[in-house]
Amino acid sequence: MEGSVQSQSNATESAYRSFIGQNGDGDHLTALRHQMDQLNTIGKRFVAAIDRFQLHRALLATLQELYSFSACSILLKGNPFELSIIPRYPLTGPFIQAMIQSIARAGSVIGFPDVTPEELAVVADLDAPDDLAPSFINTPSTATEIGDFLNIPLTVESRIIGMLSLFDEHEGTFDTELLQLTTMIADYAAVALENVRLHEREIALWQDAEQERQRLELIISSMAEGLLITNAQGAISSLNSSAQHLFAQAEVDLKRETPTSLRKLATSTNVNWLSDLADIVDQALAGNIVMHRELIAGFAGDSVPLTLSISAAPLHDASKNIMRPIGVVAVLNDTTSSKQIEKLKDEFVSVVSHELRTPLTAIKGYTQHLIRRIERRLREARQRQQNTGSLAEHPESYDLRSLNIVQSETEHLERLVSDLLDLSRVQWGELDLQYTSFYLTDVLAERVRLAQVSAEQHTIFLDIQAQDSRIVADQLRVGQVVGNILDNAIKFSPPGRQVTVKLQEQDNEYFISIIDQGIGINPEYLDRIFERFYRVRNTASRQYAGIGMGLFVAKAIVEAHGGSIGFSSNPGTGSKFYFTLPRVPHTSVLQL
Amino acid sequence: MMHMSSMSDNSSSVYYEKVVESYLKAIWLIDDRVTPFLGKATTRVLVQGAARRVSNQYPFLHFLVKMPYTEVVPAVIKEQWSSITPQELTQGLHALLQECFAGLKELTGDLIGPPLFDEVRRQLEQTP
Repeated sequence: MEGSVQSQSNATESAYRSFIGQNGDGDHLTALRHQMDQLNTIGKRFVAAIDRFQLHRALLATLQELYSFSACSILLKGNPFELSIIPRYPLTGPFIQAMIQSIARAGSVIGFPDVTPEELAVVADLDAPDDLAPSFINTPSTATEIGDFLNIPLTVESRIIGMLSLFDEHEGTFDTELLQLTTMIADYAAVALENVRLHEREIALWQDAEQERQRLELIISSMAEGLLITNAQGAISSLNSSAQHLFAQAEVDLKRETPTSLRKLATSTNVNWLSDLADIVDQALAGNIVMHRELIAGFAGDSVPLTLSISAAPLHDASKNIMRPIGVVAVLNDTTSSKQIEKLKDEFVSVVSHELRTPLTAIKGYTQHLIRRIERRLREARQRQQNTGSLAEHPESYDLRSLNIVQSETEHLERLVSDLLDLSRVQWGELDLQYTSFYLTDVLAERVRLAQVSAEQHTIFLDIQAQDSRIVADQLRVGQVVGNILDNAIKFSPPGRQVTVKLQEQDNEYFISIIDQGIGINPEYLDRIFERFYRVRNTASRQYAGIGMGLFVAKAIVEAHGGSIGFSSNPGTGSKFYFTLPRVPHTSVLQL
Repeated sequence: MMHMSSMSDNSSSVYYEKVVESYLKAIWLIDDRVTPFLGKATTRVLVQGAARRVSNQYPFLHFLVKMPYTEVVPAVIKEQWSSITPQELTQGLHALLQECFAGLKELTGDLIGPPLFDEVRRQLEQTP
């Protein structure tokens, strides 16, 4: 920082000459050396001051050496203004009041228009040095008026930052030479004050930053979620206590080296999930955000192993424009308890479904028995009618229709129960398939027939576009898939609309599609439609019942066969669900 | 308050420019004399403070509150002040100068103001 001291050296030289005296060349050199020493002393005093109080002392000491005065003050520009009054000895209240008024008037002259005596009186800080001159204490000043004064702007790089004022109770204390000297000292003081201000601002900023750091540290350490931060090489640079606890639970020792390389740790400890975690970190280091990736960190023997849900994001340096992340921040959530609840729920659903299945089997069996009996009686009755020539419909034909509906609905209920049972099997990877050889057309025809019975107001077409339909698969499961999709197609289609079940063959697989003219699915739900218990919640679908299981189970069954499932939809005009099944199961599927 | 006689009225086309120029020279003179005592930036803020105080009475001087007098170009100012009467212009600039001296008195009492005032008055009187 550069004050105007150097630029005014010529101006102040004359003041020094007259201040020290000029006698011959030898004396002149001595005087010059003396001046240099004095300047050096003044400079050192101000440079050494690191706070306002030290600066006030330096100013007072310097000014006192030059001449006698009652008090000096420093007014600093700011919001609010800062005023320090530094008396050389105890002053009377009216004298201080007169000082403040003079400072306010001079302040308005040098561009501090808003400063008022009242405001200054409020902010004024009387920094009376402890070592007030004892002689003055014995004979305290009684002066109430200012005899003489100087108000000198404090300038740094042509910027006025404040004002140095000197006051004395006697008249004629100051002259132009003292004014020049004081201006020179004011320049030193201005630079020193600016330095003190910068230093204070730096300390305040540092304190703010430190406070913020401690607050963040407290938040991070108090987080229930584990927080892991890596460096640009994917090595753990820090982790909070929750994360440490999770690693300890998974029996991973992180105290070997710092920073701990996740990849090395995965290799050395042979812990599989650490390798997956390292993959997640690598993905984030590549600039991707990873959301809710589930890792089984527990042991296979546990009924519900420790399960972590991990989200990770790249960390970019805020100050530099570098594309590559400087690290990764990952949040580790322990989802084991929710898995335990899920397991309990699945077990409950499984037990209830089993219990429901027994009466359902009985209902289905007796219904079939009744249907066969009525069908037999109706055949006999129709033969008798043919013999007698009667055209009247036999009353039992109505019963047969009702029983067919009961049977169809029982089948539907049975599928729902099967889906519930399958839920836990799918969830825990226990879906067993019983492979047999059969014709797909038979399964599709049977499903269409059953669906049509309970959907009299819809027309269901079966469109076979395949030469051959022989397949090796789990016949019941394939029927379950078709039934689930067909149920949805009918449920979400207004009465009178048609549903088409189409079979096509392509290469080594069959392509089965179920096309409806229903309400369709909004694009916002497309990603979630195969999630379990997921039901589209909009005005159009609110009236339709269901538990959101059918498509979840259908997807699991198709994928277990090595096929794929998908759909396309136009809201308002209908949907097309399709799935593929290989003619014969892939070897890998069979091995599973 | 010190007093000095203002320049005589003149309605010639170059009058504005001459008046502004002579008062600017007066301010430059103040600057020359004040700088060794109070530093470089003082005259600039003295003029700004003075302009603020007189701008209620002479609004055409308000621009000096923001613009340093060192950047004032008389020819440009002349165009902006075309609606100001010669009397107003002279009185305004005179008031500005008076306020500068009043400000100087608040800073240093009678240490540098009175001799400088005489010098400025002599310079203004010598202006044709």
